[in-house]
Amino acid sequence: MRKEYIEKQKREHGRKVIGTLPVHYPKELFTAARALVVEIWGPPGTPRGPDAGRVQTYVCPVVRNALAFLAAGGADVVDAMLFPHTCDSIQGLASLAPDLGGWDKPTLRFIHPKGERRQSSARFLRAELQQLLTEITKITGFTPSASDLDDAIILHREIDAKRRHLLEHRRHLPFSDLELYALLRRGEMLWPAEHLEELRAAEAKMTEQPAHSEVPVMITGYVPEPQEIFSTLGEVGAMVVADDYAAVGRRVPRHDVAVSASGLDALVEQTFLQPPCPTRGANESLRIEYLDRLFKQSGAAGLIIHTVKFCEPELFDVPAIRKHFSARNVPVLSLETELEPKLSGQATTRLEAFIEMVKSNARAA
Amino acid sequence: MITRRLQYELAGRAVGPLLLTIERWQKKLKRRQPRREGPFGPPLESTQKLKELMSLHYLQGRYADGAVPVAWITSGFPVEMLRPFGFHVVYPENHGALCGARRMIPEFAEVAEKEGYSHDLCSYARGDIGSVLSGKTPVGRLPKPDMLGCCTNICQTVLYWYRSLAKYFDVPLVLIDTPYVYGESQPHHIDYVRDQLDELTVTASKITGKPANSETLHETLQLAREAAELWAACLATGKNRPSPWTGFDGFIHMAPVVAMRGTEECNAYYRMLLDELNDRIARGIGGIRNERYRLLWDNLPIWYKIRELSSTFAEAGCNFVCTTYTNVWADPAKDLDPAAPVASMARAYSNILLNRDLNNRMRIFREMVRDYQIDGVVLHSDRSCKPYSVGQIDLKRLITEELGVRTLLIEADHADPRAFSEEQVETRLQAFIEGFT
Amino acid sequence: MKAVAIGIDAGSTTCKGVAINSNAEIIASLVQPVEPLIEVQAQRCIAELRQRCGAGNNVPVAATGYGRKRVGADRAITEITCHARGAFHHTGKAGVLIDVGGQDTKVIHVGSRGEVVDFAMNDKCAAGTGRFLEVIVQRLGVSLEDVAKRVEGTDRIVKVSSTCTVFAESEVVSLLAQGEPLDGILRGLHTALANRIGALAGRLKPDVDLIMSGGVALNSAMVKALGTTLGRTPRVVPQPQLVGALGAALLVSFVSEVPSPSSTPVPM
Repeated sequence: MRKEYIEKQKREHGRKVIGTLPVHYPKELFTAARALVVEIWGPPGTPRGPDAGRVQTYVCPVVRNALAFLAAGGADVVDAMLFPHTCDSIQGLASLAPDLGGWDKPTLRFIHPKGERRQSSARFLRAELQQLLTEITKITGFTPSASDLDDAIILHREIDAKRRHLLEHRRHLPFSDLELYALLRRGEMLWPAEHLEELRAAEAKMTEQPAHSEVPVMITGYVPEPQEIFSTLGEVGAMVVADDYAAVGRRVPRHDVAVSASGLDALVEQTFLQPPCPTRGANESLRIEYLDRLFKQSGAAGLIIHTVKFCEPELFDVPAIRKHFSARNVPVLSLETELEPKLSGQATTRLEAFIEMVKSNARAA
Repeated sequence: MITRRLQYELAGRAVGPLLLTIERWQKKLKRRQPRREGPFGPPLESTQKLKELMSLHYLQGRYADGAVPVAWITSGFPVEMLRPFGFHVVYPENHGALCGARRMIPEFAEVAEKEGYSHDLCSYARGDIGSVLSGKTPVGRLPKPDMLGCCTNICQTVLYWYRSLAKYFDVPLVLIDTPYVYGESQPHHIDYVRDQLDELTVTASKITGKPANSETLHETLQLAREAAELWAACLATGKNRPSPWTGFDGFIHMAPVVAMRGTEECNAYYRMLLDELNDRIARGIGGIRNERYRLLWDNLPIWYKIRELSSTFAEAGCNFVCTTYTNVWADPAKDLDPAAPVASMARAYSNILLNRDLNNRMRIFREMVRDYQIDGVVLHSDRSCKPYSVGQIDLKRLITEELGVRTLLIEADHADPRAFSEEQVETRLQAFIEGFT
Repeated sequence: MKAVAIGIDAGSTTCKGVAINSNAEIIASLVQPVEPLIEVQAQRCIAELRQRCGAGNNVPVAATGYGRKRVGADRAITEITCHARGAFHHTGKAGVLIDVGGQDTKVIHVGSRGEVVDFAMNDKCAAGTGRFLEVIVQRLGVSLEDVAKRVEGTDRIVKVSSTCTVFAESEVVSLLAQGEPLDGILRGLHTALANRIGALAGRLKPDVDLIMSGGVALNSAMVKALGTTLGRTPRVVPQPQLVGALGAALLVSFVSEVPSPSSTPVPM
């Protein structure tokens, strides 16, 4: 389906298409330069093809799967590939695939500064954005004007605001978790204006009274895979009311972005206003404060920490998050998956037992 | 404060040396056991001095907090920036290697794992966090830091690890974020590192209450560059047949260039070591008795198996005459320029092996295999070190195809023996060795 | 007395069943090795339990364990909740339950009402589960019955550092080749497993009531090894293999003094 969509975009709109690995990259630059971006989160499943064994099994499945996928020609429909500097393993992949085989079309890289905002990092980010824009325009053959860039920035702000609105009013949306995530994750491949249309259509269905009475939980993690998590939660009468998946909620600013600057300067400022993410080297305490606020605002009754095996940035934060919420008598579940197509029996049991626990906890309170 | 300072100075200048002298006498007094005929050449005499140097460093460290400012930093951190401010520096990685060699990592790691740190995380990080949480260390006591410094040129893991430490100790963490180098490093990347080094000066000055001192920085850089050159010269002695030492000796003897870079003691040590190595070359003394095959080791050592592994190889006449890892502290540091300290550091610290792409790794293999006349390459696929290990499977293939030398990939972990499969590794090693004969 | 509820624990290695009376006493029980067709086996077990205590079809059945959804019971409840409830029946107070089964190890913090306050489970691999011991002990040709006797009869602990079952197996082979005594190695394996479970349990409060269940609790040497790691020896609940099935029966019966988790939504 993705492939057909991409081909149609190329055929009907003459757009160049650039694939990207997770997580953070400046979408606005691509939109301004008239490139469609398609995200590759793995893809889920066991790595396939002859290149599946080129990365050790103790490396995160996103990287293992991505190499196998690229090398098998899975992304041949795109014109270039972007590798954001997310973690050590994706950084390695950014050399492995183009240099030693697997990807021979143009390669873009985006290094975002780590840690909190510093004068040095703001300055660097601006230069890095400028360079990335130059690289993109080489591929698309279109150099955006200053107003093209500002238009793209405004468009993406609107998209982010809609995504935030849907996430914050989760209970008033007559959708299942599966449906909502499918909608939000279509943003990983749709032309932004089309995605905005879909978000608007969903927003129009928002109800006056809450449409849900399931047990509310918050979830934090990397990517919502396997999606069976949501059907399992649904079966035992639970739903996600607050989301901090790196792929979803963690890329949506939780407050209005009041940035007066324009162009690249605006993008620099916006970057530092994003929710805290360990792949940007965010301070652990800031992340916990953020999660705590999200948890309270959403009225969640339990927290699921969903990690991908071997994902260092996420795994380092787990002890502190767990400690913080456990100390406040919030039921916490650690769930580890490996991008497998289906949840393991054990993982299903964990999820179900957790919801049983949250219910009994809520009843006692 | 004054008494604390006195203790610190005494530990470093008087008590420590005295204790070590006594220990040396005691050793001499003990009747020498006739050495067993082993596969190794006579031991390096410098090793005793190395032990003293490192013991002294840790002994003095016990009294450092309260006496002088203390910084805990990563192995790739530009320590030269800190020396002029009088910091006592602690290297958790060096400490981790020590704990690894003494097989104490599982005990410490279990403490961290109980706190919720996944056993899939780097064993240095788990070991160090566990050591801090439990207060246990084989070196008696580590001084509490006033500042933490981490540089991402070796991995991004250190950022997460040091953030945890910063929270625990409640002290500032200075990050030197070094953009990964694909091909050649770009001007705006170097500018970024240079800007951060300037910011580091401001922070260090605030913490220590001392102004920046460009004269001392100049001297430190001179010393550091000399250290790198001396270390490079020591490593290069391995090009001789037989090599006067083994690559595993190199893992042990790299401690000063990692932990004491920028000090005169460090350089004095390497002058002595270089003299001894050259002397051995002149006298035809090898690191192992019967050097028949020359090997190269890639990635960190397996600290808890160093002795067993080197014996197994040495008995078969195989010597690791060079390693990619020990080279890290020799190669880019040669570019340090005392005349332009900050700018040259920004470049040198960005261009560390682990911060560069796989083409560069392959270039290094090519050069080393040629310069050291290598017969075989052993790649340690290190569960705990993703940046070093991603790509090794392809590198192994390329080395065999392009350089025509035999290769072996073994899976282990640099510090955690719980992820080590004795039988499996042993069988592979034996098969690899048998292939030579 | 008449049966009021039946609990079936369809686990990964064994299928357990109990029938309880209105005093919450077990009046019939069974333990069988698990068969591939769990739905068939479970129905047979239910029929057997009904027959043994003359229970009619109106006596409710709850199922737990990996096969819980395939049993065709009136309710399916996870083994976490059931184990907590079953253990609480024996202790009557809050505590920490360590359940070491064939495929899973669970550390469950049980609240003062028998509810689950928190829990942790081993990750996917067999390290830290009963399978770890079983595989290696079988490889060494020692019967599971003899293990405890051998371990308790030796003072030597030969350190086994690998926690991965496959790695540990090869490590044990090389230890034997080096002439290390078998009993000392067995003891070392117990210590390794206990350390792994200890890591899962995390830091425990000193005054917490520590209890143990699951098939591995029948191995007294393992209980002692855990005691050494945790600083205090857990009490083994009576009939440790039946705790899950008992909990299931209690949760579906009316004798349960604890509000049972149901699928009714919680008011928000």
